[in-house]
Amino acid sequence: MGKSQVKGTVTSLSSMFPAEEVQKAAKMVEDKLSDKQNEMNQLKEFIANNTSLINLVQKLPDELHHDIMVPFGKAAFFPGRLIHTNEFLVLLGESYYTERTAKQTVEILKRRGKSLESKVNTLKAVMQDLKAEASFFDSTASEAAEGLVEIREYEEDNSTERASQSGSLELETPSVAEADNKMGASEDDEYARIMSRLEELEKEELAAEDNEENLEDEDEDANAVESDGNEDELIKAAEGDGDEDEWTKAAFHRKKDECYSYLDHGQRYSESQSRKQLQQFNGKEPIEEMSNKYKHQDLTNQFASTGLTEEPVTKGEISHGRIIQQDTKSLSPSINASAPFEKKSVQASKSEFDSSKAFTGSIVEHTQNLDKSSVGTNMTSLQSSGSQPSKPVSRFKMQRK
Amino acid sequence: MSSSSTALRELQQDLENKANDLSKLQKDIAKNHQVRKKYTIQLGENELVLKELDLLNEDANVYKLIGPVLVKQDLAEANANVRKRIEYISAELKRLDGSLQDLEEKQHSKREAILKVQQRIQSHQAGKAKA
Repeated sequence: MGKSQVKGTVTSLSSMFPAEEVQKAAKMVEDKLSDKQNEMNQLKEFIANNTSLINLVQKLPDELHHDIMVPFGKAAFFPGRLIHTNEFLVLLGESYYTERTAKQTVEILKRRGKSLESKVNTLKAVMQDLKAEASFFDSTASEAAEGLVEIREYEEDNSTERASQSGSLELETPSVAEADNKMGASEDDEYARIMSRLEELEKEELAAEDNEENLEDEDEDANAVESDGNEDELIKAAEGDGDEDEWTKAAFHRKKDECYSYLDHGQRYSESQSRKQLQQFNGKEPIEEMSNKYKHQDLTNQFASTGLTEEPVTKGEISHGRIIQQDTKSLSPSINASAPFEKKSVQASKSEFDSSKAFTGSIVEHTQNLDKSSVGTNMTSLQSSGSQPSKPVSRFKMQRK
Repeated sequence: MSSSSTALRELQQDLENKANDLSKLQKDIAKNHQVRKKYTIQLGENELVLKELDLLNEDANVYKLIGPVLVKQDLAEANANVRKRIEYISAELKRLDGSLQDLEEKQHSKREAILKVQQRIQSHQAGKAKA
């Protein structure tokens, strides 16, 4: 801590995404959505009419002639007969009619029904997209209204910029916007891949944790109730020897779970996360402090570099967990690494790949449980197989969609 | 002072004119969109008709509704008519696309001109305030 000077800026989320504008955007999307809903209702009505018509056409030729009440003008009927029950003049469209039998008519109607169905399906897809947009806007509006704040911290001695956010929404920060744009294209694919791998890893880790009592309890606590009490527990545990592993693991798990839960958890967790880090920060030896700070900064940097625009902190926290792993690895080989963030993560993942050392909470001593190490390497190997810097981003993007 | 105020008034009038032009352009664009929509729907319908006509036997009767009269038509003739109509509609659509692009460009340039006039007005007013 002694070496670096930390500068910081604090920007309110609402200034970056003005609340009213977001609400307006949300409203527009809702309007579009209601339009599409009306179209959908109309199409469904058409389909219903079509099917009833098919039924009628199929029933008519059952008799040679039907006795019916024939409409006469606007308000009268007279009794009459429906003859030629198998001859239908079918409207093909554009005022073209043709004579068809009942069977042929039914075929025509069925074809029409099919095209209607395909229209309905495309409309459904469009509506789903709109709904996703609307939910995103709603969450943005609520978060901006809550007055969440984006915190940027600059560390000088390593000549790398780190940005941290305590808000659950992550906005595109100008410094990493370009990096994000570059990575944008490949992220979505990787994101899906990474998500599925994450789930696998989760299962592995859960299995691994079953071997350790402490972890189990903490994780269950962490996963079940993300409250400050648990965090304190974890913090205490974490500040014990080698408990950082558990903390990070718990944190990792928690983050994973939060991936599935949403905003609130994310907010609480992020706040607790930064708190924890700071606690660790203060309570440790110099090297560990440095590494912790690295961790913290890398975490936040990862946050920023991913340029998460939409996803809540939960995703970032997952990346947190990953970054912790990466960073601890990278820190161990070269604490003074001053490479830019992306390279660092690449190096980290590569070195993790090679060294088969797992992520650990503590940076200096690599106290590694075998299980964690295997999980860690898996995670990192997965990460390295994708384009590393963009993993957090892709994850975010996937969730956005 | 007076010269600058008259200049200011001129600029504001200019701004008004340009704003009117812009709104006219926007209306044109909206109309263009509507006509395009109509044509697209008609095109779709005609293509459906063509498909059904192709499925008909040679000896099937085809009728066309002209006003209140249902007129018997030859299948070949009906096919030809529908095809011609499809071509005509596609040509119309293309024409409309071209004019739409034109209108959008004009709108764009009008917007820029308006911006410039606004800036000049602002600088004038700033100058007046200083003086």
